[in-house]
Amino acid sequence: MNRRHVTLIAKKELRGLSQERTILLAVLLQVFVAVFSSFLMVGLTSLYDPAALSRSVTTEYGIGYAGNESPLLARLEAADGVRVYPMDLSTALQALRERKLSAVVHSPDTRPDGEEPVKLTLYTLQNDLTASVLNVRLKEVLGAYEAELRELRADRLESTPIPLRLPVPRGAEFFEFVYGLLVPLLVLMPAIIAAALIIDLITEEYQQRTLETLLATPVTFTEALWGKVAACLVLVPLQAGAWLGLLGLNGIRVAAPVEIVLHATAASAVLVLLGALVSLHYRERTSAQFVFSTGLVVVMLLALAMPANPLNLIAQLSVGAAGAGHWGVLAGVAAFALLLGWVMTRYARVVARAFVEG
Amino acid sequence: MHPVLTIAKYELLRSVTQMRRDLLPVAVGLFLLLVLVTGFAAESGMHLSDGLYTIGVDDHGLATIVAGDPRFVVYQVDGATLARERGAYDLVVIDGQARGAATPRGQAALKALRNDYAGYVAAVYSAEPDLFAAYPLWVDAEELRSELDFEATGAGQQVGLRPGTGAPVPEGTIEQVTAPPAGIGVTAEELRRELVQDASTDDRLARYTDVLQSGTMGEYRTPAQLSPPLPFDSIVLIFVFIFPLYFSSQFFMMAIMNERIDRRGEALLAAPVHPALLLLGKALPYLAGMLLVSTVLLLVLGAPLVILAALLPVILFFLAAALLIGMTARSFKELSFVSIFFSTVATSYLFFPSVFANVHVIALVSPMTLVVYALQGTPITLSDYLYSTVLFYLVSGVLFFAGARNFTEERLFSQSRPLTRIREFIGSALSDRHPYASLSLLSALLIPFVFMAQMMALTLFFNLPMPWSVLLLLVAAAFIEELAKSLGLYALLAKRERFRSWRVLVPAAAVIAIGFLAGEKLLLLATLAQITESVFGAVLFTSLQALWMPLLLHLAGVLIVGGVVLAGGRRAYIPGLLLATGVHVLYNLAVLRGAIG
Repeated sequence: MNRRHVTLIAKKELRGLSQERTILLAVLLQVFVAVFSSFLMVGLTSLYDPAALSRSVTTEYGIGYAGNESPLLARLEAADGVRVYPMDLSTALQALRERKLSAVVHSPDTRPDGEEPVKLTLYTLQNDLTASVLNVRLKEVLGAYEAELRELRADRLESTPIPLRLPVPRGAEFFEFVYGLLVPLLVLMPAIIAAALIIDLITEEYQQRTLETLLATPVTFTEALWGKVAACLVLVPLQAGAWLGLLGLNGIRVAAPVEIVLHATAASAVLVLLGALVSLHYRERTSAQFVFSTGLVVVMLLALAMPANPLNLIAQLSVGAAGAGHWGVLAGVAAFALLLGWVMTRYARVVARAFVEG
Repeated sequence: MHPVLTIAKYELLRSVTQMRRDLLPVAVGLFLLLVLVTGFAAESGMHLSDGLYTIGVDDHGLATIVAGDPRFVVYQVDGATLARERGAYDLVVIDGQARGAATPRGQAALKALRNDYAGYVAAVYSAEPDLFAAYPLWVDAEELRSELDFEATGAGQQVGLRPGTGAPVPEGTIEQVTAPPAGIGVTAEELRRELVQDASTDDRLARYTDVLQSGTMGEYRTPAQLSPPLPFDSIVLIFVFIFPLYFSSQFFMMAIMNERIDRRGEALLAAPVHPALLLLGKALPYLAGMLLVSTVLLLVLGAPLVILAALLPVILFFLAAALLIGMTARSFKELSFVSIFFSTVATSYLFFPSVFANVHVIALVSPMTLVVYALQGTPITLSDYLYSTVLFYLVSGVLFFAGARNFTEERLFSQSRPLTRIREFIGSALSDRHPYASLSLLSALLIPFVFMAQMMALTLFFNLPMPWSVLLLLVAAAFIEELAKSLGLYALLAKRERFRSWRVLVPAAAVIAIGFLAGEKLLLLATLAQITESVFGAVLFTSLQALWMPLLLHLAGVLIVGGVVLAGGRRAYIPGLLLATGVHVLYNLAVLRGAIG
């Protein structure tokens, strides 16, 4: 195999990509996903955990309190971000309908240490975001009230949980979402794009009937294939690196970027070579894409079901929790890619011979 | 046989005969593998965030609680050693006191431990014989409908809920209500069953966000269950529906692309059938296939078949987009990239709003929220259905029309740059004999796209804290409108030399503004009442209060873009667009200030 020929083909394919400017779409896609996911995160944080956005002005919410007097009233008065008005239920509900209150709580006359549970009624406005924000704020107050009531009824409990005092965590709202899900999946995306690309590059030669022209040049079929594979693979570390850079701009620091890019590249070598084999077999885009995509889902699910899979390792690497064992997995994936490469080379020779003979 | 059916039959035969003989057995084999692997994955769980944290515990009982969570690597060490080597762990528990390291990872570990511990405590309490001693407080959540809709704010009433000094006094007549009964009316065993069920669904997405409570919406909730539930299972099912649809639309995309390879479609074009019918025939097998796949999925999952009604507009939208992508892509690579890009954007549009299905009415911009509702058993009204699907129907219709209009030799076999092609596609919708009428019609036809893009911006910015969401939405909405209005004009100016004069521009701008406004009014009145009631609606649709003001605004926008292009040539289009957007934003700000104060 002539290395110059391989580079020549790789350069030709990359030039084609940059001329069509379709690669711009891939970049745009990255930015879109990054923006969307970070927006979604900010939104979810502010929605479910308003305290997390402490810089924004904390508005006070008016709450009407109706029914029996209870320790809850004092607890609500002491709580941050809410202002309580003891009121008559009918008046309070009308005020709520006129949006002069954000919620109304009704407390029954159940005895705190009675047999029956204390049933609070919480009135909020339909389809209103303040309702969900308020639920989060009330959760803590009501939880403390629940603990107080539970204490009063403690003699009726049979077992007590092992005690554990936990401080309130600061920050880290989306640590696991970012490092345990977003980082591994984003790093994998370039690999999937590369695999889709190799299928296009190979089936296009068959379907546009440009293969004969290509084989009329001094470049052999095997060299051409490897050139295409190389062109697809070169893009992976670039894209994965760009992802990590974008995450960095978003304030998400990733611990071991080099190792992560290596894992992504090795995994995509496997996917790209599988894609190449499938397209050599089917020679037609629709079938090849279909078989490959279904196979991809199978492979992904299988990998995820196993401990220490590359995606899990990428997550561990990104938080700096991976041991030296990940090098072993990397070597294993790389060895598998080499095996696939050997199979592809053999297969390409068979295909080329058949092509020349007619 | 009707020509549409003939073409459909031909298309079906072609796709079957073109397949390689081993494709079907391979597909069946892969499908069986998929079922097997899914079973295996369900059995062993997803190992994605294993081993992220290290924890040192001095108590065996607590260590057992954490050991069930694969996120933790657990070390049971005696307290003295732990106190000395605290720095080696993300989290230590000594004498029943947890301490997290002062790093994000340590704090996240603490959060995970809190969740695990809460789950353990809940398990202990829900096994108590006297459930009402363990859970003495239950909350019954009631929702009221506000009498104050958004229009009232225009009359000077306050939108915000800022409490004053004393208790608020309602202005309307007070309707006397009886206090809710103190009794709970449900047996302890029923509540216990709900608690246990809730615990089993607790740790999935909640693991990644930790703030979302997933759970069944029972009538009564404990304080811990108070946050709005995330319809997690239903959201996963959405992907089960979207992926096969996306795949099938890929086949259609490829079938269209194949007609363009080697000019194979010449024969089809020569058929004495209208292009619209041709395309209809070609799309029919795929439409039928997608409906069939969805029906089978619904039956297998035991989900209500009403969902098909929510999926139909999505199917049509995917097919229409596939048609245009297949008609415009210059190579397989371009086809792949464009379709990946389209599917990501479309999936975000469909998926993200449905996350908020139980939180806010904005979720209804996506038909997938209807799917979530149907799966949850939330009733769907006809207006809900119209509201969330009408844009999809309209956009699919317009895209299909554009495809049929351009299904000609000249367009199909051209290899010009994508932007040029888009301009040509729009240009061919403009008639040479009736330029003004077609401009007006075009700008009305673009309205569904404008709304869709604005809804996309809405779902995107809706997540941000309040002043930012409104500001960004304002700019994005203005830009989208100005872009849509100027597209037709730009195509016209680029198409014919004789249109490039001020004498044409002014009437052209007028008919565009009229067409745009008419389309906007019609569609809004028909569907979007729910959105217009919220503050976001005011931002998107400020130009609807009076008729002549928005008409002037639209006219000014088109005139600015057109004037800049006339003066500076085609290169000046983008600066002109930005200028018009700026003017539009200023106008909207002025109107909003007047409305909100």
